[in-house]
Amino acid sequence: MYMQKSEIMAISKFIKGVTAIALAGASMALVACGGGNSTVKVGVLVADASGDEAIGFKNYLQQYVAKEYNYEFVYSPQLDSAEQARAQAETFIGQNCKAIIDMADKNRGDLAQLCNTNKVYFAIGSGMMSDEDYNASKNLEYFVGQIGPDMVTEYNTGLAMGQYYKETKKVSKVGVYGAFIPNPMHLYRMAGLLTGLGDTYKGQSGQNIVYTVFGDGAQFDASNIAGDVTIDYCSGFDGEGAIFGRVGEIIAGNPDAFLSVGMTTTFFADMLDKANLEYSDIDSFTTANGAHMKTGSLKYLAGKYSSSLGPIFAAIKSAIDGKAIRLANGDAFSLSQGYWTAKSSAEFEKFQSADSVTNPIFNKTVLDTLIGASYDSFKAAVELDRTPQ
Amino acid sequence: MEQVMENKKPKFDKYKAKKLVITLLPLLALILLFVFYIIILNVNDYNIMMNLRSLLNQSLILVLVATGAIFIFTLGQFDISLGANALFSAVIGTLVYKATGSIALLFIICILVAVGCSLLNALIASVFHLPMFVTTIAMLSVLTALATFLIQSQGSASGTSYSINLPSELVDKLAPLDTPIFKIILLGIFILAMVFIFNFTKVGRKQKFLGGNEKCAKLTGISISLFGIIAFALAGLGVGLGSSMTVVYAHTVSTTTASSIGMSVFIAIVFGGMPINGGARSRIYSALIGGFSYNIMTNILFILFQSMEGARDGLVQVISGVFFLAIVFVASINYRSKNLPR
Repeated sequence: MYMQKSEIMAISKFIKGVTAIALAGASMALVACGGGNSTVKVGVLVADASGDEAIGFKNYLQQYVAKEYNYEFVYSPQLDSAEQARAQAETFIGQNCKAIIDMADKNRGDLAQLCNTNKVYFAIGSGMMSDEDYNASKNLEYFVGQIGPDMVTEYNTGLAMGQYYKETKKVSKVGVYGAFIPNPMHLYRMAGLLTGLGDTYKGQSGQNIVYTVFGDGAQFDASNIAGDVTIDYCSGFDGEGAIFGRVGEIIAGNPDAFLSVGMTTTFFADMLDKANLEYSDIDSFTTANGAHMKTGSLKYLAGKYSSSLGPIFAAIKSAIDGKAIRLANGDAFSLSQGYWTAKSSAEFEKFQSADSVTNPIFNKTVLDTLIGASYDSFKAAVELDRTPQ
Repeated sequence: MEQVMENKKPKFDKYKAKKLVITLLPLLALILLFVFYIIILNVNDYNIMMNLRSLLNQSLILVLVATGAIFIFTLGQFDISLGANALFSAVIGTLVYKATGSIALLFIICILVAVGCSLLNALIASVFHLPMFVTTIAMLSVLTALATFLIQSQGSASGTSYSINLPSELVDKLAPLDTPIFKIILLGIFILAMVFIFNFTKVGRKQKFLGGNEKCAKLTGISISLFGIIAFALAGLGVGLGSSMTVVYAHTVSTTTASSIGMSVFIAIVFGGMPINGGARSRIYSALIGGFSYNIMTNILFILFQSMEGARDGLVQVISGVFFLAIVFVASINYRSKNLPR
């Protein structure tokens, strides 16, 4: 069997085509990526960059901080597992990032060690490490520190919500969404919520609820809830309709309100708005949540604000500039930052306008006072209640 | 005389040439992508060694699992439970390693559990005469549920999730294995062993025959059950090694460990030129070439679209999807030949 000239030409053309595409791509890369500059690069590890809260943080870092300080914040793709987070951290290190901010929460202790070995600063911008990881990492030179709501703050946030609905709204029957319990953050909020409502779990109240659930192998069984306020409970998200059906059942039961320890504005806001059932959530001050509060039935929102990442940036910049903020014994700091709570649309709008991308709470003037500050003044500034009055 | 001379000219076999080009395309693509990647890293003044190290870490587990899984794909079968099997074996291996501190036991247990789960797939399919695909779906649910239960009951709360973390002294013991040299040696030995079984033993040849024409193979006396069991056992070996190396690399297991493996294996072997229906044209090295090609391409796209962050992740997915379809199309040119595979 012989190959005809036209066929040889066709294969030759194909190979030439592939080579041409590769060369064109290389040229594009040279144009797109070429040239270094003095911008300081920081990698940001995220588990999900598409949520409203994540977008708020991203806009603050990329549209405000980056411009004010000549920094570049490079975001990771969605990271699902510890091995993906580690590989992405290695990629950031390979891309000459001076620091990495972790918001993905995948084996943080290990990432702190990796960054320290490679002389890249590591900071936690949202949430907290476990005590064990923090104790193992706090003396690492390149571990900057962590700022986020600690578990006590999470508990108190749930407690305040429960107390508000019991004492002010006088509820007797509520739907409750436990989000991703046994996720510890959601479990602490739930313990606070039940306690605030005056209910108990297996006869326990307060943070003992958390210890009871952990003692049961992290199994949370809503049939163990008892008290004056009747609770119709659901949790989880399968993405395939079953949870929507369950929430529909709760709505059909005509509760006084639907109380959530997280993620309701993401999953069920439209359902609850349509049913005109009052609901609460712990999330963040985003445009979408503002709309639900204004035109929907979201009536209570405890949330983070976008520029609450400001202090961790200030700490990173301090470290990069050689003026690291450390505890007196040289350890990395661990500071808790609270939530803001809006109970009306007007209050929400006041908060939102007080923290915009163009005029954030942690603006350049405030950040400049934090960069290179002593630990004590830094701690005072982070823990200061900045709720707009 | 002229005619005699013409007849003595080396004949250019159209079929062989076409086959050679299509066979070499994945390798050519890998080389081009690699060169392109190095250029981009160089232009950006990135740390090339660190990026290559990251590439190896991204690809190692995928290539180990995918190379073993080639034996299943060669039969024209598909195992959707590979990721769940990797997770479950990693959980058991981690618990044993935490209890004993023995690295050898970590590897042995991971491999035994993975091979056991894989064989269970084949056994259930064989006993109940179910399609392999169906049993692997059931196994996916069972293994994920078991792993989740073990992680929640044996693990600890860390921030927003549960995981089983290794204490620092056990992490330190794994350090010599978490090096590029060890990983390359492990990968090399495993792939050479798989190449030998696939290309130079009856097992590989009979599996290709089964994948190409099951009825015909059966008529010649080849046992479908036996070679199905062998295929799943070898796939389990790859999963076991992959899960061991996951523990060595990540030092933790959570419910999301190896979560993307199942689909990535399929994408990788297709990128590497493996026919989607298996059979005689199956190639054992598809996993190696495809695993690295896919990760290099993704890394390149992330660097190229770094400045378009809002649309970056979506763009990378779309372009990867287009590449995937293009590769399947080019590869299928080979299958559309009227000639029987040679």
